[in-house]
Amino acid sequence: MSMTGLERIMTTLKHEEPDRVPHFEGGIAANVMEQILPGKSEEDFIEFMDLDAAVVHYRWFTKYEMIDERKRVARDMWGGLVKFSSELLPHPMGPALKAEKDLDSYKGPDPDEDWRYKVVEKLVKRFKGQRAVIPVLPDIWNVVKDFLMGDVWYFTAMIENPALIQRASEIPLNFYLRFIRNCISAGADIIWVHGDWAGTKYPFASPQHTGKFMGAYLKQLVGECHKLGVPCLKHTDGNIWPVKDVLLNAGIDALHPIDPAAGLDMAVAKAEIGHKVCLMGNVSCIDVLPDGTTEDIRRATKECIKKGGKGGGFICTSSNSIHTGVPGENYTTFVKAIQEFGRYPLDLG
Amino acid sequence: MIDFDALSQKVIDGDVEAAGEMTRAALKAKGNAEEILNRGLLPGIRKVGELFGAGKYFLPELLMAGKVMNAAMAILEPELSKAKVGPRGRYLIGTVRGDMHDIGKNIVVMLLRSNGWEVMDLGVDVPPEDFCAAVAKGNYQIVGMSALLTTTMSGVKDTIEALKAAGLRDKVKVMVGGAPITQGWATRAGADGYASDGAEAVIVAEALIREQ
Repeated sequence: MSMTGLERIMTTLKHEEPDRVPHFEGGIAANVMEQILPGKSEEDFIEFMDLDAAVVHYRWFTKYEMIDERKRVARDMWGGLVKFSSELLPHPMGPALKAEKDLDSYKGPDPDEDWRYKVVEKLVKRFKGQRAVIPVLPDIWNVVKDFLMGDVWYFTAMIENPALIQRASEIPLNFYLRFIRNCISAGADIIWVHGDWAGTKYPFASPQHTGKFMGAYLKQLVGECHKLGVPCLKHTDGNIWPVKDVLLNAGIDALHPIDPAAGLDMAVAKAEIGHKVCLMGNVSCIDVLPDGTTEDIRRATKECIKKGGKGGGFICTSSNSIHTGVPGENYTTFVKAIQEFGRYPLDLG
Repeated sequence: MIDFDALSQKVIDGDVEAAGEMTRAALKAKGNAEEILNRGLLPGIRKVGELFGAGKYFLPELLMAGKVMNAAMAILEPELSKAKVGPRGRYLIGTVRGDMHDIGKNIVVMLLRSNGWEVMDLGVDVPPEDFCAAVAKGNYQIVGMSALLTTTMSGVKDTIEALKAAGLRDKVKVMVGGAPITQGWATRAGADGYASDGAEAVIVAEALIREQ
């Protein structure tokens, strides 16, 4: 008998083999869903594609106050300015804090407002027990860097004023600890923390700074999830290999996406850290999924499962997300290939 | 006697205060501003670029060095102007249409400026026509553009094509960069140069103007 999506994911997170390799994505562009299943809702799409999880992106937990409709500039919930573009998320333009003293009177958003959890509740109502409901939240350091301080101030403060970062980080930390509790009360099965720690060549900060300013807060988020009996996944693009121990020490249950654009290889990851953390990834959404032929996509998917799937502890995904440049038929080919090649026991030659 | 090596080291250490004091002291000791820049500050920031390119320095250290250079250049600027010391070159830069990600571009800007370049930063989400208008109006030797996403890479090609259509392509060298871009892709798109990080961007820019 086949497993439910929820059982499939929970089994692989325990490093056991489920009936088949699970699949879901951190983001699927609206135009891709529309090409595959026109006129239907995202929930209908999840069911139609038989995805193992319904992922709730953090844009659903954020409200924006439009400041300039023509320029598409808005104020986000942290008080900073953002600009909307064709991307999934608006881009930060101006942080909420201008000087350290602004922290004295800063008032953050309220994590207990009911509207934040409506999408989670809706998905729980439809999918509970069948597919995992996974709210996504941003890394604490990303919130401080992008929305409270801005990148240059944040990175230089790592050296000049670490106490400022620690003080500012408490604001989103307390918000998201509460947010995690509320999501789990609403029925969420898993929590997923998104935020890049590295560029394609190297991590953004030294292992020491990464541990102090990124890892320490991730560890608290993961700890809260575990205290409430829920696994915690982590997404970060880039070459995270020099700081992989910081990620593992935070206690995460799965690591996404083992970025091939940064030269990371699923087979190497499986051999070196696959016994400590479930791996998620990593069929390229830079070339294979947007531009590949059916055969290219099937070959890359088979190869990815072959490298990561043995013994469980593996979720097959794209190398980031199904963005606007991925044709609907390519995503369909990808999902079908996972369902075909990912049956356990694996027999991939 | 001015200890240029010690000044370089302050840039490498990201010590804003000490570098500022040493720069002021060097000027007071009748040091030549151009010599302080060329023998003290620039070797320091070049070393920082090398360390960053080699994965030994990271963004915090790089940005601190940029802060040191800005502070020291503010002290030297009046003397450099008096001596009519011109920039190493003039560079126009922006992220292409649809792309809002600017930290990589900002690093390139900082390192170019620190290395004596005059840089006009058009910011993010710059349409091809804005690149063209700026090239037509200004006297730039190089146009740099970046795209972080696969979905915005086409903006690089569009901009190069727009420069050609406007008859401006031969007026400037074109450099490109960004996470999904490779040397091969850059060449196919018709760019003159490609750099994978900020330190390399400075090296490539200097090589391109030597060709001109």
